[in-house]
Amino acid sequence: TGLYFPQNEYTETVYIGQPAGTPILQVQAMLDSNSERPHFYLCGPISYRRPSYSSWFHLDINTGILSLNKTLDESDFTLSSESGASICHGDLLLHAMVLPNASKKSQCINRNSLRITLDFVNATLPTCAQTDMKELCFPHRDTSNPHIMENRFPGPLRQLRRLTRLNVCPNYTITYSVESAPFAVDDNTTELVVTAPLDREERERYRLLLVCTVRTETVITKVETSLDVFVNDEDDNAPYVNGTDTANIIISFNRTKGGSFGNLFVFDRDLTPIYPIDQSHNKYVGTLRSSDPWIKETFDIRGTFSEKIAAHGGIRQTVHNYQLVLKRNLYVTENSTVQLDYLVNDTTYPGLEGTVLLHFNVTILPVHIHFSNITHMFTLSRRSSVYAQVGRVCLEHCQQFDGFSVTYRLEVPDKNVSADVQSCYTAISITQAPDEMWGLLYVNDSAALHGPECQSLQYLVVAKEEHTKLQTNTQIHILLDGEGETIQPFQSCAMNKQQGECESVRGLGATTGRCQWRQGTEKGISENYSTCSPDLRTCPDGFCDAVESKDISICPQDCTTQTVIGGHERGLRNGIKACYGTCYCYAEKCFCEKVDVEEVICDDMCKTIIATAL
Amino acid sequence: RISVHSRGCLLKEVHLNVTDLGLGYQTKEELIFRYCSGPCVEAETNYDKILNNLTHNKKLDKDTPSRTCCRPIAFDDDLSFLDDNVVYHTLKKHSARKCGCV
Repeated sequence: TGLYFPQNEYTETVYIGQPAGTPILQVQAMLDSNSERPHFYLCGPISYRRPSYSSWFHLDINTGILSLNKTLDESDFTLSSESGASICHGDLLLHAMVLPNASKKSQCINRNSLRITLDFVNATLPTCAQTDMKELCFPHRDTSNPHIMENRFPGPLRQLRRLTRLNVCPNYTITYSVESAPFAVDDNTTELVVTAPLDREERERYRLLLVCTVRTETVITKVETSLDVFVNDEDDNAPYVNGTDTANIIISFNRTKGGSFGNLFVFDRDLTPIYPIDQSHNKYVGTLRSSDPWIKETFDIRGTFSEKIAAHGGIRQTVHNYQLVLKRNLYVTENSTVQLDYLVNDTTYPGLEGTVLLHFNVTILPVHIHFSNITHMFTLSRRSSVYAQVGRVCLEHCQQFDGFSVTYRLEVPDKNVSADVQSCYTAISITQAPDEMWGLLYVNDSAALHGPECQSLQYLVVAKEEHTKLQTNTQIHILLDGEGETIQPFQSCAMNKQQGECESVRGLGATTGRCQWRQGTEKGISENYSTCSPDLRTCPDGFCDAVESKDISICPQDCTTQTVIGGHERGLRNGIKACYGTCYCYAEKCFCEKVDVEEVICDDMCKTIIATAL
Repeated sequence: RISVHSRGCLLKEVHLNVTDLGLGYQTKEELIFRYCSGPCVEAETNYDKILNNLTHNKKLDKDTPSRTCCRPIAFDDDLSFLDDNVVYHTLKKHSARKCGCV
């Protein structure tokens, strides 16, 4: 049955001295058909006993009129304010339900339950002279807006008269009117009536202007108030595809588990509520129409939905989005073409055509593990320190790789060389961060660079895919340049606070043999702070790379995990993102501060002197 | 009433803007900064007397070793504030809670 309360909360005021039999308010239920008859009952919510004061009131089973069972007196007021828990702020709380047939139940059925709040005032009902027109016409606090189910039988939804004030001003005539179709006022019963079934997909909210006309012998007064009536949704629209029902998907470099591909949209003009969680309104169920075990273990379809406001009309609707998801990492050698059919079913749509068939055409291309054809040439200064970065290598398209890993190693191409030349090859190593595709070449042994027999170094970089063990290689040439220096101990560049001392230091990781100075120009805390670094191309760049992480002294600015002293902003993972003034570090502990520049800056006075001298 | 221990290393406080700290933060927030100040002569030992004499008699070439000084021995709770770009910052060990001659 469709019997329901269009409004689940009523409020009214009751006074001392109101006699037994006085009507207080009328609750109203919406019907599903002409033959249906509502039966109203006062009830107690589950888990509560009905409060003792509920016997003061009577709810008419047929009309829904709530009236007093007894004359309220002073002792009732004290009793009700003492009875504690069931009363809030002197309010009497009642619950009511509506059923299609007679019943003896006294517990409310949650879905159809209604709250009536009666404000019990310790005074007598105001007289006509004490009541203003607005009070006569409308309750002064009316918080509840009616909700009407779409596609339902029309009928009365609210009693407009204030029943408690019916006899306050016997000489006044009070009438109501409303001017918005399909709403009207029944002049006999003063009920607000909806005259036709509503369609939410056409209009979701009606703003009514209620006009109350009060006629006395001499004047006519009009009081107006507005009322919002909302239309509740039901699943009366089938899903449809606007545009394509087919997604063509090519899977190549990104083969990772959880990766999503393609985007197909299914529209539904109905709403899909997300609360409460267990309801079934407009629920979609999708099924992958394939019995192939390979497809079932490899692919999944992920459906998500969101609410959109339709371009014309501004009515809310649902958009379902379907994507193909990989359930496992694909091997680099996998190569196939499949078509997946996915049936989307709107399970609560009562009609026949509540389904849509979606197609995903999937092509999996194998990944060829190879280096691009360019020759890898690097120039390296013989002055370079240990951990100086020479360059980096990567397979073709490696930046797009996901779902498999590649490791790099160095090999010496010609093993039949003299022992002297052989020793040159200890100079360089390759390293790689665990989640990175790049192989970084760096100086492993700086002393090996110095020998005159080490002119140019040739290595083979071998890349191997971890799962399939497929491998490929490329040749790299490292030209050595300049003269080697006599060995001095290496220092950490980051220790130096000033340009002069920085640039004279032989620093760990320095590609030119000397540390490099970066002069920050901005005021305040800036990413472009002043600091001393082994190579400004890699440090500080806000990222602790595979070489830098080999020794904290190389670039603590990027790699520190400790608390930084002074004004700064931390990086996302390790290191420092921005610093105030100059950043310098002792071992892993870094400081950000304005270092007083000792180099003489020519101030205004000095400029004047120079100008005069010239 | 006369306070006997009014001399020496004491905790003092000053009301400042965060910008006064000179750490480069741009913000309108303020704080109570507490610091340690005062002489530490009462806490000196024979070691300090000897050092004093040696320095005075120029027996230690250029070296001037540190003497007892008034320093925080505990720090205030962390201070968090929003800067003008609505980024949160937290200062740790920025203000003294307890002082001592160390």
